[in-house]
Amino acid sequence: MTKSFGGVRALRGVSLEVWPGEVHALLGENGAGKSTLIKILSGVHSFDGGAIEIDGVPVAFNSPAESREAGIAVVYQDLSLVGSLSVGANLMLNREPTSRFGFLKKRQLMAEAEDFLKRHNIPLDPRAKVGSLPFAYRQMTEICKALMGRVRVLILDEPTSALTSDEEQILFDAVETVLRQNVGVIYVTHRLNEVFRISHRVTVLRDGANVGTFNTSETDMKTLVAAIVGPKHATAEAKEVLEGEALHERQPSARSDGHGLLILTSVVNDRLRGVDLSLRNGEIHGLAGLIGSGRTEILETVFGLRPIDRGEIRLDGSSLRIRGPAEAIEKGIALVPEDRQVQGLVLDHSIERNFSLPRLPHFSWASWVRRGAETEETEAAINRLSIKAPGPSTRVRNLSGGNQQKVVFAKWNNKRTRILLLDEPTVGVDVGAREEIYGLVRQAAQSGAGVLVASSDLSELILLCDRISVIVDGRVIVTLRRDEFRDAEHLHQFIQISQTDQGQAA
Amino acid sequence: MTDRIARTVETAVPERSRASALAQTLLRSEWPWMLYLAFVILLVVFSFASPWFLSIDNFLNIGRQTTLVSIVAIGMTFVIIAGQIDLSVASALALSGMAAALAMAHIANFWFVGALAGLGTGALVGLINGALTTRLAIPSFLVTLGTLSAARGLAMMVTDTKPVIITNERYFRIFGEGNLLGLPAPIAWTLAATIGGVLLLHYNIFGRRIYAAGGNPTAALYSGIQIKRVTTWAFVLTGALAGLAALVLSARSHAARPDVVQGMELDVIASVILGGCSLFGGRGFILGTLLGSLIIGTLNNGLVLLGVSSPMQLIIKGAIIVAAVAFTKR
Repeated sequence: MTKSFGGVRALRGVSLEVWPGEVHALLGENGAGKSTLIKILSGVHSFDGGAIEIDGVPVAFNSPAESREAGIAVVYQDLSLVGSLSVGANLMLNREPTSRFGFLKKRQLMAEAEDFLKRHNIPLDPRAKVGSLPFAYRQMTEICKALMGRVRVLILDEPTSALTSDEEQILFDAVETVLRQNVGVIYVTHRLNEVFRISHRVTVLRDGANVGTFNTSETDMKTLVAAIVGPKHATAEAKEVLEGEALHERQPSARSDGHGLLILTSVVNDRLRGVDLSLRNGEIHGLAGLIGSGRTEILETVFGLRPIDRGEIRLDGSSLRIRGPAEAIEKGIALVPEDRQVQGLVLDHSIERNFSLPRLPHFSWASWVRRGAETEETEAAINRLSIKAPGPSTRVRNLSGGNQQKVVFAKWNNKRTRILLLDEPTVGVDVGAREEIYGLVRQAAQSGAGVLVASSDLSELILLCDRISVIVDGRVIVTLRRDEFRDAEHLHQFIQISQTDQGQAA
Repeated sequence: MTDRIARTVETAVPERSRASALAQTLLRSEWPWMLYLAFVILLVVFSFASPWFLSIDNFLNIGRQTTLVSIVAIGMTFVIIAGQIDLSVASALALSGMAAALAMAHIANFWFVGALAGLGTGALVGLINGALTTRLAIPSFLVTLGTLSAARGLAMMVTDTKPVIITNERYFRIFGEGNLLGLPAPIAWTLAATIGGVLLLHYNIFGRRIYAAGGNPTAALYSGIQIKRVTTWAFVLTGALAGLAALVLSARSHAARPDVVQGMELDVIASVILGGCSLFGGRGFILGTLLGSLIIGTLNNGLVLLGVSSPMQLIIKGAIIVAAVAFTKR
């Protein structure tokens, strides 16, 4: 099976060859051309030159339907499921079994869906309503949907960005099953460790062109990072590492002089079952746990999005009673939410408007907006956070994922923020921007703010945090100090062990 | 091989993108220039087609005829940008007019008593709309469909569908027949509403909050915007402006009637959408709305001058509105 590409607008002559039965990882920073390539393959965009061949036969398609017909199935980052329908109905969408008069054969539909899920060893209930499933399971449904029917090439676009390790394994097993059917898999990701876990070969794109294709077994992480980032970033990267090291030396002192900034005492609500947690000044505190464990909910509770039934939150020693985000922000609490496009930004509005939104009173005089100050501070923030954008009036929609996330950070990057809550701060963010975001987090802590980070990426937590609390089933099971957690493997075991303990106790 | 293709592509791109960029600016700009173009074309066509069209008197006429729609549409702009809709404006207008006339007839025959009663009643209808929409989480389409019916019913019930005569000369002069700042009163009030709207929407933090609430309610909530409060205020503002329109109308006709301006909400919404607002919220601007209502007003006026039959007028108007929105909408 061969695919080759000529020049396209955002692509300048990209070639990609996928063999049957291989996982071919596609790497590159945001804006390198991965998404464009995928959109061309899936028939969303057309291309200006070059050719696509499947099994040696040249193909051309003008619509996603034609691409699907040709055997290319895509799993997008943003899901394309109907929330109000069941898993089975979603899987069989547009290929429902019907009776002679066009009526739906419901029982047969469910049986077919169930049979499919069983064959692929996927732990999904075909009768469950998609909208009520946790994100990871919705994503799994999406992948299953792509696998239905005749597939020659399966494209996975950052499939694990919101999955926990367990769910990742299920996904990888599913991919194995697909491979045995001689399907070629194109695997787009930002996570390099996955590349080594699952892929056979890797192609790196930069600025719309091939940088190189490597056999995974013959390459290493360093080579790949260098290829992704390119020569121009090399110095910046080195500086970042140095700063990181300097920071590790700082941490002990920060820990010793920090006192209790935010203390949660047996906080109970609809999703939390007695959370005890303390956050100190200048501390970066991680929340590790599986999806649905209550990580996100802890952050949401502190931010006033979820009411507390019992227990107490204390800020600076005095009891905190807040009824909504407005009051939380008033107290200096800030949340960088999990889904920046849905919760963090007004995509159609400018950087400037998004930037000033949480602090409108600050940017106004007697309720009249001070536009000069607004533009000035936005420009300063764009420079400070090195957001790649033409100017403050650029629409946020037109920025790449990493830069969008930086805008969300910019909203809270000021002296008033005393507690910074981060939920999956680097999902869908490219390598370069990720380092910059880590820098921002460390800076916030250095200036005395307390940072609470929830993340599925354990190595991220280990890299950043002074302490990590493991959350299982709405409770903090254990809080580990920096010298107590060693590596992701070790931390992961902790989560797994506590998980089984809980299971036995229940 | 790939190199060669890449080069040909690079040379081919600029021309195409320049042309498409221009089309993009014209067709899908944030400020819909096509709308201005449409307005100018409309003026030119009518000027050639009718000898009476191009005169100051006629333009003042258009201004007066569009006053009601323009004033209410300013408020509707806030509601629509906030991602909501208000179908009850015509009924609120009728009810406010009745309240103003009755207040002057029964409480005290001063112009400001009528004005307060009219504006207050409109604002109250808006408050009910806003409170039901935000507190009970009922879609505003349904809430205002209800108040559309209920407010009209109330307006008819208070006098058993009879009109109420107004006798206050001062009231007529201020809201209907006099001159303010050298302009006919209705036009002066339209201008005042427009300026107030521009200031509030584009220069005040209230406007910013309205945009955010409609552009992405979740992100607005996460940024500490109190969406319910902001949305409610948008409805109150619209109601109050319906009240202002009621004052203008009743001062012009020296009476308040409970059955006036039925179906006006459609012209109002058409003006706002024509003016570049997104029905999904988060996008739009006041001057666009004003222009939208002027286009509809000019269309009405021009078609009458051309002697087009009234059924035909409706058909032409409908077609032009849909066509204009198709061109200006992004």
